[in-house]
Amino acid sequence: MDEQIITKTLPDHNPETLVEVKDVSMRFRLPTQKIDNVKEFFIKFVKRQLKYKDFWVLKHISFHVNRGESVGILGRNGAGKSTLLKLISGIIDPTEGSIHVRGSIVPLLKLGAGFDGNATGRENIFLNGAMLGFSKKEMQAKYDSIVKFAELEEFMDVPLKNYSQGMIARLGFSIAVDVKPDLLIVDEVLGVGDAAFRDKCAKKIAEMQQAGTTLLLVSHSASQVQALCKSALWIKNGEIAMYADAATVSNAYAADCKKNP
Amino acid sequence: MQKKYYEEMSGKEKLRRSMNTLVSIVNRNVRNQYRNSVLGIVWTVLNPLLNMVVIALVFSMILNRNQMDGLFYPVYILSGNIVFGLMRNSTSGALPCMVNNYDLLSKTRLVHEIFPISNVLSAVVNFFFSMIALFVVMLFFLNKPGVGFHFTILLTIAPFLPLLMLFSLGVSFILSTIYIRFRDIQHIYSVVLTLWMYLTPLFYSLDMIKGHQTATSILKLNPMYHYVTYFRTILMGSIPSLAEHLIMLAWGAGTCLVGFLFFHFSKKKFLLYI
Repeated sequence: MDEQIITKTLPDHNPETLVEVKDVSMRFRLPTQKIDNVKEFFIKFVKRQLKYKDFWVLKHISFHVNRGESVGILGRNGAGKSTLLKLISGIIDPTEGSIHVRGSIVPLLKLGAGFDGNATGRENIFLNGAMLGFSKKEMQAKYDSIVKFAELEEFMDVPLKNYSQGMIARLGFSIAVDVKPDLLIVDEVLGVGDAAFRDKCAKKIAEMQQAGTTLLLVSHSASQVQALCKSALWIKNGEIAMYADAATVSNAYAADCKKNP
Repeated sequence: MQKKYYEEMSGKEKLRRSMNTLVSIVNRNVRNQYRNSVLGIVWTVLNPLLNMVVIALVFSMILNRNQMDGLFYPVYILSGNIVFGLMRNSTSGALPCMVNNYDLLSKTRLVHEIFPISNVLSAVVNFFFSMIALFVVMLFFLNKPGVGFHFTILLTIAPFLPLLMLFSLGVSFILSTIYIRFRDIQHIYSVVLTLWMYLTPLFYSLDMIKGHQTATSILKLNPMYHYVTYFRTILMGSIPSLAEHLIMLAWGAGTCLVGFLFFHFSKKKFLLYI
């Protein structure tokens, strides 16, 4: 049954393909001035002054990632990296083209999205777990390993507003990676925490890769991309500039950054 | 080698996960109201109770009445207020919910509908606490006219509450969608709520304006009039007519459907505008 559904959506499917991005374009409509009240809207509407500027963040992106592969995504600020990750995560839909992901996804686009500053660390673990869809019982089973990984045993009864940024990030990361997804999507969230915790995170991700998790990683650190990913994708002005092995791409990207600062 | 591929989670699994999220958000909303207070959870009952006492005292003195429509006046006011309060709390809570949860919407894969729904459910939880307060007041005034515990009060659980929830949810869907584009709606709605409150017979009754034909027919167009009257009727031990049930059903299902469709078709653009 399952096979049939997939052949229908993807005629030339390869069983090893986990992520299939096909000719994806994404358009944002930027109003030339922001209108957020009714009066202005009607005035502009009647005067036919509602002007939009079309901005194509991504243009005709096509690539695929195989099961178990890891891909780093490089690119300048505003090149469309985060938009691409949001599209693959299924948070937003592309304007054109199609995206297929066959498997469970854990997007790590922001650590601790939905954390509640007034609640304690313990309550936030359950709350954040619930945001990922886990019941209280399921989280109870994970609780100890999460706290242990975050190394925050002493702070579990402290309200989150008294945590430091690094501690919040550590807690967020620990909750998010305590699952075994088919696809882990990481957006520049590893740059937080102290060096020791960063190493721990990298090690955890490597461990998940070993267990068969596919990784999509946005990072500005070429060394991190090379350490964690076999191949890399370089996005330049919304288009794929290069998709090859990690070392080649990060070298080309570094050279380009130097050339056009 | 695992040879099973799937597009996404199954619908059932998705629903189960969304339910977990929903329960947790409602739990947080209810708890956050009285966080860091000495009495904590006690306030959920005490707050409506004290508010009711004040309102009942003031209006009893102003209008100088002992009963209205055959119901002891303070209980008349309280019962109307908790019904209207459920609608008010859910809609005014839901109004900014999409904007306030931008982080979750843009960074996680939550089902968007969760946020308006969670606000309505939080208001329902508070409604039950208010019911406790109402029962305390009723126990205290058991010998007064119209006050008593009848089995018809069970109609609150169904069909009354589900229909009122549907109605509130529909309004919440519409308001939270509009708020994304036009922040003005917050100020407009607060005025509308005040007007709506006075157009609902909370502290007066339709009998008082019997001579005024137009006013009466306008008031009957107000859905909250039907919900409030329904609640008072079952509180006093009678079962409302079939027509009243159908009116409530029409308002509840109709508003919810319109609201849901409006929300659903604007959903794709949400993230671009917040």
